[in-house]
Amino acid sequence: MTEQVEEFEVGRYLYCVVAVGENGSDDSFSMSGIDGEPVTVLTENGVGAVVQECESPYDTDDLETVRDWLLTHQEVVDTAGQTFGTPLPFRFDTILKGDDERVRTWIADQQDTLESHLAEFEGHWEYRVGVAWDEERVRDELESEDEELADLRERIDDSEEGTAFLLEKQYDTRIRDLRQARKESLTNRLRESLEPLVREFDVLDSNSGVLGDGASDEVVQVAFLAHEERETDIGEMLDDIAADPGVEVRFTGPWPPYSFAPELEA
Amino acid sequence: MRETGPTRSQSDLAEMLELLLDKGVVINADIVVTVGETELLGVKLRAAIASFETAAQYGLEFPEGTDMERVNEAAGVEELAETETVPVEASSDDSEEESTDSEEDADETEAEEEATQTAEAENDGD
Repeated sequence: MTEQVEEFEVGRYLYCVVAVGENGSDDSFSMSGIDGEPVTVLTENGVGAVVQECESPYDTDDLETVRDWLLTHQEVVDTAGQTFGTPLPFRFDTILKGDDERVRTWIADQQDTLESHLAEFEGHWEYRVGVAWDEERVRDELESEDEELADLRERIDDSEEGTAFLLEKQYDTRIRDLRQARKESLTNRLRESLEPLVREFDVLDSNSGVLGDGASDEVVQVAFLAHEERETDIGEMLDDIAADPGVEVRFTGPWPPYSFAPELEA
Repeated sequence: MRETGPTRSQSDLAEMLELLLDKGVVINADIVVTVGETELLGVKLRAAIASFETAAQYGLEFPEGTDMERVNEAAGVEELAETETVPVEASSDDSEEESTDSEEDADETEAEEEATQTAEAENDGD
């Protein structure tokens, strides 16, 4: 692949699309965005695009700079959400080539699609739940519940070094399987309890972090789209799960619906 | 007892930020190219970020169009194992040396050369 630097003189960085309403004005929103550039809302027929001017994609090798940009992106989308209700959040670094007029034309072209997505998301936000458990406790419990495991443990204790080594391997395999099964049953329990309360549900790959900070110790992570009025019900349901000894539940939100955002055409 | 409502602490936000690289509204790039007036950009950035910690080492797939030379540079890795089998016009004497013991302490010039060859080979494959 040859080095291909995208060049454009006039572009608009897209944060999100919001429902401004028929009589809404687009100058009621003011804050600074990435690199301190002013953020504006371009409105066409009640649909607003939250944008800022840019001349090139935001691109750097410096991780701290990236974090700053991402944080700013999130702040802008958050503020837009507080002002206008649930936004359609764009992926970081989505840029329309062209000027304000180009953005307005795009909104007009996509009017129906944007309106229907905005209506569908109205009052709904993304929430995330992570469940961590006490590994030692889980190990003890599995050993007391599973005969095979208990038997292996006993034989290991009674064996010579060589045999014990092989038995340890069997033990590790067995405990890995049991742990996996337990994780699946926890995921299913979450799914079954949440499904009546949420619109969409997604199990996340908990080891996919790229920004550092180390892997999470949460064994199960899920994201779901739910109406804001369900927050308390969901919280109470999660309290039940958290009441299990050795289990910790982290419930975060409301977030803009990043994980459930649609694909749009330009 | 924990509260029944959701939280939004610093660490929650940190987790959230990764999403922005991966999730959110996507503009259909194919259409963009056809229209010719709009482009979806910023794919390279994501690859560069991914490379810092993990991606290159674990051989994760990068989006099409990723600048692999830069990714490898950023990740501080030279060549991934599979690319070592790429046939290279090995005419000079030192090419053999390159492929063996100088692998680890190859200077920048060599690393760049290798990356270029890899890129070419990948294009041939396509």
